[in-house]
Amino acid sequence: MLEATLNFKLLEMCSKCGACFSICPSATHIPGYDPRAVIKDILAGTYEKWLSSAHIWQCLECHFCLEICYQHYGFENAMTALRTVAAKKGMHPPQVKRGWDMFIKTSRLGEPTLPARKKLGLPEPTASGADEFKKLHALLKDAREGHKTE
Amino acid sequence: MKEFAVFWGCTIQTRFPFIEKSTRIVLEGFKLPYRDIDGFTCCPEKSLVNNIDHAMFTLTAARNVALVDEKGYDLVSPCTGCVSNLATVKGELKANPKEKGEVNSLLNQVGREFTGEAKLSHLVPFFHDMVGIHEIKKRMIKNFSGLKIALHYGCHMIRPSHALKNDDPLEPKKFDNIIKAMGAESVDHMTKLMCCGQGLDRVDMHDKALHFARIKLRELKQLGTDAMVLCCPSCFLQFDNNQFLMEKEGEKFGIPIIYFTELIGLSMGYSPEELGMNAHRVDCEPFIKKWESLCAKTDCAADIKAGLNSGGGILG
Repeated sequence: MLEATLNFKLLEMCSKCGACFSICPSATHIPGYDPRAVIKDILAGTYEKWLSSAHIWQCLECHFCLEICYQHYGFENAMTALRTVAAKKGMHPPQVKRGWDMFIKTSRLGEPTLPARKKLGLPEPTASGADEFKKLHALLKDAREGHKTE
Repeated sequence: MKEFAVFWGCTIQTRFPFIEKSTRIVLEGFKLPYRDIDGFTCCPEKSLVNNIDHAMFTLTAARNVALVDEKGYDLVSPCTGCVSNLATVKGELKANPKEKGEVNSLLNQVGREFTGEAKLSHLVPFFHDMVGIHEIKKRMIKNFSGLKIALHYGCHMIRPSHALKNDDPLEPKKFDNIIKAMGAESVDHMTKLMCCGQGLDRVDMHDKALHFARIKLRELKQLGTDAMVLCCPSCFLQFDNNQFLMEKEGEKFGIPIIYFTELIGLSMGYSPEELGMNAHRVDCEPFIKKWESLCAKTDCAADIKAGLNSGGGILG
């Protein structure tokens, strides 16, 4: 359930357009970062080489491509799909792995710093939602298992 | 005004508690009906969580929105990323009843329900639309006339526009309107809307992150900018911390990075120390010094005020 998917019909149009190329900060400032090449490979079914490429993690998700896109689709969708496949194969950067582990374990990407809060005169942090979050994560896992066996 | 919960987010509370401080000072100062509520988790961070598990991204955001929905509050955040992520999921679920049903079937099992009724706003458009420029001017006792400020909107304050619906995503105006009303010059610059590039630091590409920061800081230095003003903890990390790291290696920029709430706080008469600005890594002192000297020059009524304060006054 709820898996990221690609719309190939829209991507076909992307391969003939390239408006996002002119506004994408990574395409402007990172040599070799080329939305058009990626889209071409996805459509040809030869995207495998991008899974191990650093470029798919250089998409900044700034949403410029989405805003300038005549289809309001956006190249970022292609990059998200590639990153999702790469992550499933365990090919994501170590920092992303660490971040995900911390998120799943604690429901946050860091805890409020108590001594600094005290020094600044800030109130006690509000109660954490971690327990309920963990329950929800377990429920999602179960729902997925059920979905598979149906 | 409707009551609203403040969504602080992980980055501000973990790394920059002084931003929480200045935000609270400003919310109190404007007597706004803000609330702290229990149970929030990470928004969650899109580039990290959504790439690995879209369902967990959606569920977590929907649960956070449900906490506010339940209370009948709106939500305001001083973090662009948090609002953008929460609004993206809210938009997706409102447009997709089947997905909303799936999400709620899980949320219901922990006693929650996503309705998506809460309005989700970032602090800057919130101040522009809900507090109003007139009110900001009313609370201001000192303005920033004579100072050149480079605004950095931060991508997620305005994009994706279909979810946030608060400004022009490619030519935003609201932050500019506020800064100009505060008397400062909003410096026009080529890299104004360029993504800060902090995301590169989150995927083990520190050198590339520095490169992105450098491009903007170089331009601002060349233009003689007095400070960069922004309202996103991720952009703050990029321009304050990474500028500091580059300066340590010998590249000098000297651009103080000021949070929106700090600028408002200063204009209301709070000291940089009260606002926690001494915790920045790049020194704000040059900006504060210049501002104070400009204030001293333009205060025509200084003599009269001094007379009144001394107790003598006109009746002396």
